[in-house]
Amino acid sequence: MNSWVNNPAVRRIVLEAVILFVLASSVGLVLNFKLIFNAFSGQAFSDASVVDTMSKVLTQKTDLFPFPVALDELDGFISEGALLIDSRSEADYRLGHLPGALSLPIADLESGLANFKQQVPFERILITYCSGYGCPDSFDLGARLLKEGYQEVMVYEGGYPEWRDAGRPVEKSQQ
Amino acid sequence: MTIIGKVTYHTSRLVLAGVFIYAGVIKANDIQGFAGQVANYQLLPYAWNYLVAATLPYLELLCGILLLLNMRVRPALLVLFVLNLVFILVLFSASIRGFDIDCGCFKPDAEQPTEPLTALWRDLGLAVLMIVTWLLRRLQVPKEND
Repeated sequence: MNSWVNNPAVRRIVLEAVILFVLASSVGLVLNFKLIFNAFSGQAFSDASVVDTMSKVLTQKTDLFPFPVALDELDGFISEGALLIDSRSEADYRLGHLPGALSLPIADLESGLANFKQQVPFERILITYCSGYGCPDSFDLGARLLKEGYQEVMVYEGGYPEWRDAGRPVEKSQQ
Repeated sequence: MTIIGKVTYHTSRLVLAGVFIYAGVIKANDIQGFAGQVANYQLLPYAWNYLVAATLPYLELLCGILLLLNMRVRPALLVLFVLNLVFILVLFSASIRGFDIDCGCFKPDAEQPTEPLTALWRDLGLAVLMIVTWLLRRLQVPKEND
Protein backbone atom coordinates (compact mmCIF):
# COMPACT_ATOMS: atom_id res chain seq x y z
CA MET A 1 0.00 0.00 0.00
CA ASN A 2 2.79 2.37 1.02
CA SER A 3 4.72 1.57 -2.15
CA TRP A 4 1.68 2.59 -4.21
CA VAL A 5 1.41 5.93 -2.45
CA ASN A 6 5.12 6.63 -2.87
CA ASN A 7 5.24 5.50 -6.48
CA PRO A 8 5.87 8.65 -8.61
CA ALA A 9 3.99 7.21 -11.60
CA VAL A 10 0.89 6.49 -9.53
CA ARG A 11 1.08 9.91 -7.89
CA ARG A 12 1.33 11.55 -11.31
CA ILE A 13 -1.71 9.66 -12.61
CA VAL A 14 -3.72 10.67 -9.54
CA LEU A 15 -2.59 14.29 -9.87
CA GLU A 16 -3.53 14.38 -13.55
CA ALA A 17 -6.90 12.82 -12.73
CA VAL A 18 -7.52 15.56 -10.17
CA ILE A 19 -6.54 18.20 -12.75
CA LEU A 20 -8.96 16.63 -15.25
CA PHE A 21 -11.71 16.71 -12.65
CA VAL A 22 -11.09 20.36 -11.78
CA LEU A 23 -10.79 21.38 -15.43
CA ALA A 24 -13.98 19.68 -16.59
CA SER A 25 -15.94 20.84 -13.55
CA SER A 26 -14.76 24.41 -14.13
CA VAL A 27 -15.93 24.30 -17.73
CA GLY A 28 -19.34 23.07 -16.56
CA LEU A 29 -19.56 25.72 -13.86
CA VAL A 30 -18.62 28.53 -16.25
CA LEU A 31 -20.99 27.40 -19.00
CA ASN A 32 -23.88 26.93 -16.57
CA PHE A 33 -23.07 29.70 -14.13
CA LYS A 34 -26.47 31.39 -14.38
CA LEU A 35 -28.41 28.17 -13.85
CA ILE A 36 -26.34 27.20 -10.80
CA PHE A 37 -26.56 30.70 -9.38
CA ASN A 38 -30.34 30.63 -9.80
CA ALA A 39 -30.56 27.20 -8.21
CA PHE A 40 -28.63 28.22 -5.12
CA SER A 41 -30.57 31.47 -4.83
CA GLY A 42 -33.84 29.56 -5.01
CA GLN A 43 -34.83 30.43 -8.55
CA ALA A 44 -33.87 27.34 -10.51
CA PHE A 45 -36.62 27.67 -13.04
CA SER A 46 -36.48 25.39 -15.98
CA ASP A 47 -35.86 27.57 -18.96
CA ALA A 48 -34.78 30.96 -17.78
CA SER A 49 -35.21 32.84 -21.05
CA VAL A 50 -38.65 31.43 -21.84
CA VAL A 51 -40.01 31.79 -18.33
CA ASP A 52 -38.58 35.25 -17.90
CA THR A 53 -40.12 36.45 -21.14
CA MET A 54 -43.46 34.80 -20.46
CA SER A 55 -43.67 36.02 -16.90
CA LYS A 56 -42.90 39.56 -18.01
CA VAL A 57 -45.74 39.34 -20.51
CA LEU A 58 -48.09 37.83 -17.96
CA THR A 59 -47.25 39.98 -14.99
CA GLN A 60 -45.62 43.07 -16.44
CA LYS A 61 -43.40 42.84 -13.38
CA THR A 62 -40.20 40.88 -12.97
CA ASP A 63 -40.14 40.93 -9.16
CA LEU A 64 -43.24 38.77 -8.88
CA PHE A 65 -41.77 35.36 -9.15
CA PRO A 66 -42.91 32.23 -7.33
CA PHE A 67 -40.34 30.62 -5.07
CA PRO A 68 -39.33 27.02 -5.88
CA VAL A 69 -39.81 24.27 -3.28
CA ALA A 70 -38.31 20.80 -3.28
CA LEU A 71 -40.06 17.46 -2.75
CA ASP A 72 -38.90 17.10 0.85
CA GLU A 73 -40.29 20.55 1.69
CA LEU A 74 -43.73 19.85 0.25
CA ASP A 75 -45.04 17.81 3.18
CA GLY A 76 -44.53 20.70 5.58
CA PHE A 77 -46.41 23.15 3.37
CA ILE A 78 -49.21 20.64 2.71
CA SER A 79 -49.66 20.10 6.45
CA GLU A 80 -49.91 23.89 6.81
CA GLY A 81 -52.85 23.80 4.42
CA ALA A 82 -51.16 24.63 1.12
CA LEU A 83 -53.22 24.03 -1.98
CA LEU A 84 -51.54 22.14 -4.80
CA ILE A 85 -52.41 23.38 -8.28
CA ASP A 86 -51.84 21.29 -11.39
CA SER A 87 -51.05 23.54 -14.37
CA ARG A 88 -50.95 20.70 -16.92
CA SER A 89 -53.79 19.90 -19.29
CA GLU A 90 -56.99 18.41 -17.90
CA ALA A 91 -56.27 15.19 -19.77
CA ASP A 92 -52.92 14.83 -18.00
CA TYR A 93 -54.59 15.71 -14.70
CA ARG A 94 -57.17 12.97 -15.15
CA LEU A 95 -54.45 10.39 -15.85
CA GLY A 96 -52.76 11.17 -12.55
CA HIS A 97 -52.11 14.06 -10.19
CA LEU A 98 -50.87 14.84 -6.71
CA PRO A 99 -53.48 14.03 -4.02
CA GLY A 100 -55.85 16.91 -3.41
CA ALA A 101 -54.48 18.99 -6.27
CA LEU A 102 -56.77 21.35 -8.15
CA SER A 103 -56.59 21.49 -11.95
CA LEU A 104 -55.93 24.93 -13.44
CA PRO A 105 -54.42 24.34 -16.89
CA ILE A 106 -52.27 27.19 -18.10
CA ALA A 107 -53.90 26.85 -21.53
CA ASP A 108 -57.37 27.54 -20.06
CA LEU A 109 -56.25 30.13 -17.55
CA GLU A 110 -58.45 33.00 -18.64
CA SER A 111 -61.64 30.95 -18.41
CA GLY A 112 -60.65 29.13 -15.22
CA LEU A 113 -59.21 31.97 -13.19
CA ALA A 114 -62.45 33.72 -12.24
CA ASN A 115 -63.90 30.53 -10.79
CA PHE A 116 -60.60 29.74 -9.06
CA LYS A 117 -60.53 33.16 -7.36
CA GLN A 118 -64.06 32.63 -6.07
CA GLN A 119 -63.13 29.25 -4.60
CA VAL A 120 -59.69 29.96 -3.16
CA PRO A 121 -59.02 32.72 -0.60
CA PHE A 122 -56.11 35.05 -1.35
CA GLU A 123 -54.29 34.27 1.87
CA ARG A 124 -54.04 30.54 1.14
CA ILE A 125 -50.59 29.10 0.37
CA LEU A 126 -50.50 27.92 -3.24
CA ILE A 127 -48.04 25.49 -4.80
CA THR A 128 -48.13 25.05 -8.56
CA TYR A 129 -46.61 22.18 -10.47
CA CYS A 130 -46.53 20.74 -13.98
CA SER A 131 -44.51 18.06 -15.80
CA GLY A 132 -41.30 18.51 -13.87
CA TYR A 133 -37.93 19.92 -14.79
CA GLY A 134 -38.05 21.54 -18.20
CA CYS A 135 -41.71 22.56 -17.88
CA PRO A 136 -42.28 26.34 -17.46
CA ASP A 137 -46.09 26.26 -17.03
CA SER A 138 -46.00 26.05 -13.23
CA PHE A 139 -43.81 29.17 -13.06
CA ASP A 140 -46.03 31.08 -15.45
CA LEU A 141 -49.12 30.10 -13.50
CA GLY A 142 -47.43 31.01 -10.21
CA ALA A 143 -46.38 34.40 -11.55
CA ARG A 144 -49.93 35.08 -12.75
CA LEU A 145 -51.46 34.06 -9.39
CA LEU A 146 -49.07 36.43 -7.61
CA LYS A 147 -50.15 39.18 -9.95
CA GLU A 148 -53.80 38.37 -9.21
CA GLY A 149 -53.14 39.10 -5.55
CA TYR A 150 -52.30 35.75 -3.96
CA GLN A 151 -49.74 36.32 -1.22
CA GLU A 152 -47.81 33.06 -1.01
CA VAL A 153 -47.27 31.20 -4.26
CA MET A 154 -44.57 28.62 -4.72
CA VAL A 155 -43.57 26.20 -7.44
CA TYR A 156 -42.82 22.53 -7.02
CA GLU A 157 -40.41 22.20 -9.91
CA GLY A 158 -39.98 18.42 -9.78
CA GLY A 159 -43.68 18.25 -10.57
CA TYR A 160 -45.80 15.18 -11.17
CA PRO A 161 -42.96 12.97 -12.55
CA GLU A 162 -40.72 13.45 -9.53
CA TRP A 163 -43.61 12.93 -7.11
CA ARG A 164 -44.73 9.73 -8.91
CA ASP A 165 -41.19 8.38 -9.28
CA ALA A 166 -40.55 8.95 -5.59
CA GLY A 167 -43.27 6.38 -4.91
CA ARG A 168 -45.71 8.95 -3.51
CA PRO A 169 -49.46 8.25 -3.88
CA VAL A 170 -51.19 9.69 -6.92
CA GLU A 171 -54.86 10.27 -7.63
CA LYS A 172 -56.59 9.44 -10.87
CA SER A 173 -59.91 11.18 -10.91
CA GLN A 174 -62.33 13.34 -12.82
CA GLN A 175 -62.66 17.02 -12.06
CA MET B 1 2.19 -6.71 -26.60
CA THR B 2 0.61 -9.19 -28.98
CA ILE B 3 -1.64 -8.13 -31.83
CA ILE B 4 -4.63 -9.52 -29.94
CA GLY B 5 -3.69 -7.42 -26.94
CA LYS B 6 -3.41 -4.29 -29.08
CA VAL B 7 -6.73 -4.91 -30.80
CA THR B 8 -8.41 -5.57 -27.44
CA TYR B 9 -6.88 -2.43 -25.94
CA HIS B 10 -7.92 -0.13 -28.77
CA THR B 11 -11.38 -1.68 -29.04
CA SER B 12 -12.13 -1.29 -25.34
CA ARG B 13 -10.66 2.23 -25.32
CA LEU B 14 -12.82 3.28 -28.26
CA VAL B 15 -15.94 1.66 -26.83
CA LEU B 16 -15.45 3.55 -23.56
CA ALA B 17 -14.72 6.77 -25.46
CA GLY B 18 -17.91 6.38 -27.49
CA VAL B 19 -20.06 5.63 -24.45
CA PHE B 20 -18.84 8.58 -22.40
CA ILE B 21 -18.71 11.11 -25.24
CA TYR B 22 -22.28 10.17 -26.15
CA ALA B 23 -23.42 10.33 -22.52
CA GLY B 24 -21.68 13.67 -21.98
CA VAL B 25 -23.03 15.34 -25.12
CA ILE B 26 -26.60 14.15 -24.55
CA LYS B 27 -26.64 15.34 -20.95
CA ALA B 28 -24.82 18.62 -21.61
CA ASN B 29 -27.53 19.37 -24.15
CA ASP B 30 -30.26 19.23 -21.49
CA ILE B 31 -28.78 20.21 -18.14
CA GLN B 32 -32.18 20.97 -16.58
CA GLY B 33 -33.60 17.62 -17.63
CA PHE B 34 -30.56 15.86 -16.24
CA ALA B 35 -30.91 17.82 -12.98
CA GLY B 36 -34.42 16.41 -12.74
CA GLN B 37 -33.11 12.90 -13.08
CA VAL B 38 -30.43 13.47 -10.45
CA ALA B 39 -33.19 14.82 -8.19
CA ASN B 40 -35.20 11.63 -8.72
CA TYR B 41 -32.60 9.74 -6.68
CA GLN B 42 -33.41 11.97 -3.69
CA LEU B 43 -29.86 11.96 -2.40
CA LEU B 44 -28.90 15.62 -2.67
CA PRO B 45 -30.38 18.92 -1.53
CA TYR B 46 -32.41 20.73 -4.20
CA ALA B 47 -29.75 23.07 -5.61
CA TRP B 48 -26.97 20.49 -5.52
CA ASN B 49 -28.78 18.48 -8.19
CA TYR B 50 -28.09 21.37 -10.55
CA LEU B 51 -24.43 21.54 -9.54
CA VAL B 52 -23.95 17.85 -10.33
CA ALA B 53 -25.94 18.14 -13.57
CA ALA B 54 -23.91 21.15 -14.70
CA THR B 55 -20.49 19.55 -14.16
CA LEU B 56 -20.80 15.80 -14.65
CA PRO B 57 -21.47 15.81 -18.42
CA TYR B 58 -18.30 17.82 -19.09
CA LEU B 59 -16.27 15.40 -17.01
CA GLU B 60 -17.60 12.47 -19.05
CA LEU B 61 -17.02 14.39 -22.27
CA LEU B 62 -13.43 15.40 -21.50
CA CYS B 63 -12.42 11.92 -20.36
CA GLY B 64 -14.14 10.40 -23.39
CA ILE B 65 -12.24 12.71 -25.75
CA LEU B 66 -8.92 11.84 -24.08
CA LEU B 67 -9.68 8.13 -24.49
CA LEU B 68 -10.58 8.72 -28.13
CA LEU B 69 -7.31 10.58 -28.72
CA ASN B 70 -5.36 7.92 -26.79
CA MET B 71 -3.92 10.66 -24.57
CA ARG B 72 -3.73 10.69 -20.76
CA VAL B 73 -5.57 7.40 -20.86
CA ARG B 74 -4.87 6.26 -17.31
CA PRO B 75 -5.82 9.56 -15.62
CA ALA B 76 -9.02 9.64 -17.72
CA LEU B 77 -9.74 6.01 -16.82
CA LEU B 78 -9.15 6.75 -13.14
CA VAL B 79 -11.67 9.61 -13.20
CA LEU B 80 -14.23 7.51 -15.09
CA PHE B 81 -13.67 4.52 -12.79
CA VAL B 82 -14.31 6.63 -9.68
CA LEU B 83 -17.37 8.17 -11.37
CA ASN B 84 -18.57 4.72 -12.31
CA LEU B 85 -18.18 3.52 -8.72
CA VAL B 86 -20.31 6.46 -7.57
CA PHE B 87 -22.92 5.60 -10.24
CA ILE B 88 -22.96 1.98 -9.08
CA LEU B 89 -23.48 2.99 -5.44
CA VAL B 90 -26.24 5.43 -6.38
CA LEU B 91 -27.98 2.90 -8.62
CA PHE B 92 -27.68 0.22 -5.93
CA SER B 93 -29.20 2.62 -3.43
CA ALA B 94 -32.10 3.36 -5.82
CA SER B 95 -32.66 -0.36 -6.38
CA ILE B 96 -32.81 -1.26 -2.71
CA ARG B 97 -35.16 1.68 -2.07
CA GLY B 98 -37.41 0.29 -4.81
CA PHE B 99 -37.37 3.41 -6.96
CA ASP B 100 -39.04 2.98 -10.33
CA ILE B 101 -37.09 5.75 -12.07
CA ASP B 102 -35.08 6.22 -15.23
CA CYS B 103 -31.38 5.86 -14.44
CA GLY B 104 -30.48 9.16 -16.10
CA CYS B 105 -27.46 7.53 -17.70
CA PHE B 106 -27.99 8.98 -21.15
CA LYS B 107 -30.90 10.92 -22.65
CA PRO B 108 -32.79 12.81 -19.91
CA ASP B 109 -36.22 12.46 -21.58
CA ALA B 110 -35.74 8.97 -22.97
CA GLU B 111 -38.91 7.36 -24.27
CA GLN B 112 -37.78 3.98 -22.98
CA PRO B 113 -36.43 4.54 -19.47
CA THR B 114 -33.64 2.30 -18.16
CA GLU B 115 -34.33 0.85 -14.72
CA PRO B 116 -31.63 1.32 -12.07
CA LEU B 117 -30.95 -2.42 -11.86
CA THR B 118 -30.34 -2.68 -15.62
CA ALA B 119 -28.06 0.36 -15.47
CA LEU B 120 -26.25 -1.20 -12.51
CA TRP B 121 -25.29 -4.25 -14.56
CA ARG B 122 -24.22 -2.02 -17.45
CA ASP B 123 -22.00 0.04 -15.15
CA LEU B 124 -20.43 -3.11 -13.75
CA GLY B 125 -19.63 -4.12 -17.34
CA LEU B 126 -18.09 -0.71 -18.00
CA ALA B 127 -16.00 -1.05 -14.83
CA VAL B 128 -14.61 -4.36 -16.11
CA LEU B 129 -13.86 -2.76 -19.47
CA MET B 130 -12.03 0.08 -17.72
CA ILE B 131 -9.88 -2.36 -15.74
CA VAL B 132 -9.04 -4.29 -18.92
CA THR B 133 -8.10 -1.05 -20.72
CA TRP B 134 -5.96 0.08 -17.76
CA LEU B 135 -4.07 -3.21 -17.60
CA LEU B 136 -3.48 -3.37 -21.35
CA ARG B 137 -2.35 0.26 -21.34
CA ARG B 138 0.22 -0.62 -18.68
CA LEU B 139 1.60 -3.35 -20.93
CA GLN B 140 1.62 -1.07 -23.96
CA VAL B 141 3.10 2.12 -22.52
CA PRO B 142 5.73 2.55 -19.79
CA LYS B 143 4.33 4.16 -16.62
CA GLU B 144 6.42 7.28 -16.90
CA ASN B 145 4.93 8.00 -20.33
CA ASP B 146 1.37 7.08 -19.42
